[in-house]
Amino acid sequence: MTCREFIETAESLTPLQLRLLGTKDEPMSAHARECGGCGKWMESQRLLGNALQVLRAHTAQSEAGPKVELAVLEAFRTQGFEPVAAIAPDRGAPAVWKLSRFFEVGAYAAVAAALIVGIFLGARMWRDRQAPATPVQAQVTSTLPVNPRVTTVAGKTESLGNVTTEIAPKSASASTSRGGGLAAKRSQPAVEQAATTTVDRQGFVALMFCDPLICSGEEQVIRMELPGSASASADGNGSQPVIADVVVGDDGLVRAMRIVNQ
Amino acid sequence: MLTEQTDEQLLAQALDGNEDAFTALYRRRQGPVYRFALHMSGSPQVAEEVTQDVFMFLLQRGRGFDPSRGAVGAYLFGVARNYVRRAMEKSHSEAAMTTPAEDDDPLLVTNFDPVGEIARGQTSKAVWKAVLSLPEHYREAVVLCDLQDLSYAEAAEALGCAIGTIRSRLHRAHEMLVRKLQNSAPALAGFSGDAARCLS
Repeated sequence: MTCREFIETAESLTPLQLRLLGTKDEPMSAHARECGGCGKWMESQRLLGNALQVLRAHTAQSEAGPKVELAVLEAFRTQGFEPVAAIAPDRGAPAVWKLSRFFEVGAYAAVAAALIVGIFLGARMWRDRQAPATPVQAQVTSTLPVNPRVTTVAGKTESLGNVTTEIAPKSASASTSRGGGLAAKRSQPAVEQAATTTVDRQGFVALMFCDPLICSGEEQVIRMELPGSASASADGNGSQPVIADVVVGDDGLVRAMRIVNQ
Repeated sequence: MLTEQTDEQLLAQALDGNEDAFTALYRRRQGPVYRFALHMSGSPQVAEEVTQDVFMFLLQRGRGFDPSRGAVGAYLFGVARNYVRRAMEKSHSEAAMTTPAEDDDPLLVTNFDPVGEIARGQTSKAVWKAVLSLPEHYREAVVLCDLQDLSYAEAAEALGCAIGTIRSRLHRAHEMLVRKLQNSAPALAGFSGDAARCLS
């Protein structure tokens, strides 16, 4: 028997059991004789067993007094066993269970919120897909050149302020610039990147990628004259000014552009 | 005969209003409950109060007892444990208000003399003092397994923990007891100074 086996065997016994075991377990006794450390440990456990036995013997006959018995039996006679009290689930539940209930409710709320948002987004996307692409109807009375610097940086609202074109409200043209069906044309690299994408039926080219939620709303089509550099990427001729239809959103940002002629 | 019936059978009859069954159950179980409380608290007075409280609790909540979750004995020990804990907390706070602590051991600062009441020999006195000075969860394991003779499974049921926990607590408690008795029990001079384990 190794020391480890000895300890494992001995630890499965209480000191009293170890004391009672005595020398009956020959392998243990033999090991305790051979190994000084295990022998000492076993001896200490036996002494502890003896000591606990003394304490047990001293208190073995100890009992509650007759007054306690009288009081308990009197209570039984007078009131008996009380009916089972209906304990509120939360009150009787352990803290961990309460916590899990909290998380459970939270999880249900999160799932419900996700469903609502999903349904909302799904409905919007469905509506956007169903909306027919109607032609842009814009009437231009006159055109004037606009500040080319501003136009090339994606058309800020301020830059459009000095355009003297007559603006016609765009009724159904919103769908032409919504969604990802239009190609990007922000700058020269962007044009290259967007070369593989599709162009709108009316010839509008998207100038920015938009989140449908952000880019939705009223839009207007403005016809303006742009410097030739704005359309240089199209045909390589940047010297002549070009006339283009620009779709501008409520926020003043340019959504798309269509070169009308050059 | 009522004495031949199990605790569960006696409780079932008592629930039906059979006073003899309840008396038999009380007489069978009050001793272990009292001794558990006595060993845990060191005070006969506390032990009596706890015993009475345990059976009063049984009268109040006895109908809610579920035999499938454990034996009546373990159930009563579990209730007694809670009452002992409450009584000890109360006595601690009272002692803290009236007398200064004598040493670092929280159980020995109480103002009753548990040992003088019952212990007759030096060995018993020293051992009890050592048991009382153990931390509560170690003391519970020693009292239930070593002094009340409960099996590890029964003790685990009463304390609401795993059997392995009981074993490890007991092992640790025994080591602590041996160390305490080395210093405090002249009658137990045989306790070796270094009972270290060699795991060769």
